[in-house]
Amino acid sequence: MKGTFAKYSALIPVYVAYGIMLLIGSKMSGMWQLMAMLLFYCALGQAFNIFLGMTGYVDFGYVAFMGVGTYGMALGITRFAHFEGLGVGIVIIGYCLAVLMATLLSLAVGAVALRLRGAYFAIATIGVNEGFRYLIEGAKIWNGSEGMIFSGQLNKVFGREAASALSTFWADIFVLIIAAVAAFVTLHYMRSKIGYALTALREDEDAAKVMGINVTKYKIIAFITSAVFAGLLGASAWALKTPYVFPPEVFEIHYTVEAIIIVLLGGAGTLLGPVVGGLIYGISKYYLAIILPGFQLIIFAPIIIVIIVVFPEGTVGMLKKKVRGTSFERYIV
Amino acid sequence: MILNQLIGNLIQGLVLGAIYGMMTMGLSLIFGVLKVVNVGHGAFIMVGAFTSLYLFNGLGIVPILAIPVALIIGLALGFIFYYSAIRRLLNAPELATLLATFAMGVLLEETAKFIFGSEFRGYNWPVSKISLGVTVLPLTKLYACLGSIFIAVLLYFWFNKTRAGTAMRSVVEDSEGARVCGVNVQGVYALSFALGIGLTVTSGVLLTMFIPVGINPYMGGPYTLKAFVIAVLGGLASPYGAFFGGLIFGLLENGSYTIFAMLPHVEPFALTRFFSFLILLIILLIRPTGLLRTK
Amino acid sequence: MALLRLENITKRFGGLVAVDNVSLEVRQGELIAIVGPNGAGKTTLFNVVSGAFLPEEGKVFFEDRDITRLPTYKRAPLGLGRTFQIPRPFSSASVRENVAIGAMFGTQAGEVSVDESLEIADHYIERVALQDHRDKAAGTLTPVEKKLMEIARALAMKPKLLLMDEAMAGMNPKDIGDMVQLLVRLKEEEPSMSIIAMVEHIMRAVAGLAERVMVMHQGAKLVDAPTKEALTDPRVVEVYLGQPKGE
Repeated sequence: MKGTFAKYSALIPVYVAYGIMLLIGSKMSGMWQLMAMLLFYCALGQAFNIFLGMTGYVDFGYVAFMGVGTYGMALGITRFAHFEGLGVGIVIIGYCLAVLMATLLSLAVGAVALRLRGAYFAIATIGVNEGFRYLIEGAKIWNGSEGMIFSGQLNKVFGREAASALSTFWADIFVLIIAAVAAFVTLHYMRSKIGYALTALREDEDAAKVMGINVTKYKIIAFITSAVFAGLLGASAWALKTPYVFPPEVFEIHYTVEAIIIVLLGGAGTLLGPVVGGLIYGISKYYLAIILPGFQLIIFAPIIIVIIVVFPEGTVGMLKKKVRGTSFERYIV
Repeated sequence: MILNQLIGNLIQGLVLGAIYGMMTMGLSLIFGVLKVVNVGHGAFIMVGAFTSLYLFNGLGIVPILAIPVALIIGLALGFIFYYSAIRRLLNAPELATLLATFAMGVLLEETAKFIFGSEFRGYNWPVSKISLGVTVLPLTKLYACLGSIFIAVLLYFWFNKTRAGTAMRSVVEDSEGARVCGVNVQGVYALSFALGIGLTVTSGVLLTMFIPVGINPYMGGPYTLKAFVIAVLGGLASPYGAFFGGLIFGLLENGSYTIFAMLPHVEPFALTRFFSFLILLIILLIRPTGLLRTK
Repeated sequence: MALLRLENITKRFGGLVAVDNVSLEVRQGELIAIVGPNGAGKTTLFNVVSGAFLPEEGKVFFEDRDITRLPTYKRAPLGLGRTFQIPRPFSSASVRENVAIGAMFGTQAGEVSVDESLEIADHYIERVALQDHRDKAAGTLTPVEKKLMEIARALAMKPKLLLMDEAMAGMNPKDIGDMVQLLVRLKEEEPSMSIIAMVEHIMRAVAGLAERVMVMHQGAKLVDAPTKEALTDPRVVEVYLGQPKGE
């Protein structure tokens, strides 16, 4: 038991941070929106970090998994709303569909793309967004470019009040849960064979193979995990919060950009990084929106470049170096 | 009659393909010499598009004359980005240059949005059309096609007949060997990157000669994807391969659009874009080094 | 049964024949020195054995099993370990983690847990006297320390055959001496492990350790014989010294 505590104690700062955000949001008036947004960015960072941070590969089409998760929830609600008495069940079905669809898409993309090396992989994923979005629009799947609206069904199943609570409160709680679970999974991977294999393949893929590591297998594990969390996030933060899904919106590349910023800022491949990155980015964006709306990418894009050139390990990465050998070491991971 | 239509389609596809090919040459050049994938490729095309837009609408300058302006702008941007960031990342993991070029693209797009706003714009260059018997081609498209071919030929001479161009080729082959032979590899890197960007921005002008509407800060995205498909088709490191890949892609895209337009219950435009992506995946699966073997 | 058997391996790169019809047998517990100047094809041969290259002709047998086309990562659990001429540590991971990776994915893959692998790592780190650096990031080590770590990492895999890429070009006499000492210790401490050591020049010391020497020249096998014979073979003398005696 003691060993387990030591192993997972790195989660404490993460959960404390989430707890504080939850507290502030619920106790201080008017702060719920901001906290919810910060939690969303932390969750996005945690999910994206599992792939980018741990493998060192960039998936430029990442938002497609969020989009697919949104569709999963939308389908769950619209197709099952007419079954009497399912109640909360349709949300569960929606999540199951989101996970299923994210897994399938990631398997399809991964099977092709993950056998390719860095640059070719990035190229392959650039098109995933566009490709999938245009498939939906082009073949008129799920209403094509018109999207789906399901606020009506939600009201019908839950009643107006409960449906509203779902969108404004419970959806954000689900995001918090996703962030917490993603953090746990990240740490679990890091401490297990998977984490060691990923570190090796990130540092030197050829040497990793010589050491006996099946790099493709581990890349796929990280990829699917990251994709599933993205799907869950899309289902919660998009479908449940705003009950409609519209292809150009859910396949918007700027969410991928934000995910990249968050992970790089915080520290790619670290546990605490996405939390720090999410907080910095979220708070900056919130206040920038008041002073200079629409400006955040113009400011953050050069910041990305500066980070890559000057301190690629990110905030937590640098912190880790400072605490190496001290008793804080086990909490800054 | 059908044959005429088919040939007409073929010609249109080739004309489009020449422009697509030119659009991709910069990408292939940068990858060939520096082994850097310019993920922000489309944003630079957008810069060229806006250049020709404003030169025409603002100063009445005809797009053909916008070409040298675009080239200079592109070279300048290329040098700036190279010396401020790329140079320091050449030894970093691949991830670094991928993200850096991506961020450059985002920066350009957001700056454009800030300066120009995000509405769609266009311009209208009223020149006549010419008839090629089986099909009708607006002169602007013809100019764009000829311009692309002309630039491609110029590049050929550059690579084979000039010192700088030959130096670039040597670095593509073997950068260590080139260094040992006295080639200023650092200089070649800088020039190649700048030239690659210059070509890309110029292609934006040619593109607007072909499609003078729909110009907006985010227009680059679909072209990035197409450029990658073409580059992979033609062999990622070969500018010539890129040109021929462009021709093939132009034919495929035109052909697929025509076919999709005949099918019920589909949106042909969107489906064509999906089709491009499918081609990319298939090629990456079968032969990532490109269909065209350069010797 | 030979542990490793190479049959008529030929590897071409376009028009260049890097390895020309090389056959070799290594038995359990042997130390073989493969000798040859730069460009003789030694590294290419190693790459064929470890799976990085597919030979145009010929086969590779490990414990009588044809592994010619086996993916690289499947060779380690069979018992094939390798070190690199220029060490390739996993820089951001600690020395301990690096060596543990060897244990986790080597011949004991699937049998040892992460914690057990870390213990195994500690054991081998002590063997190469790197325990003071155990928790340091591998990237911060000096080149010699990195080399020692690589060996510890390879040993942690508990290999049956170790491919040591020790071309030792540009190493000063002291470092070469240390490396030879290392080979001596390995021979003593791991008698059942076979070693193929790849070196550029025949050195008295290495020659003293190796049971057999294979000399390569321009991709082909010049000589493959017990050490004493190989060293006095006139063809070897000619390649290394220019002219045979008496001319």
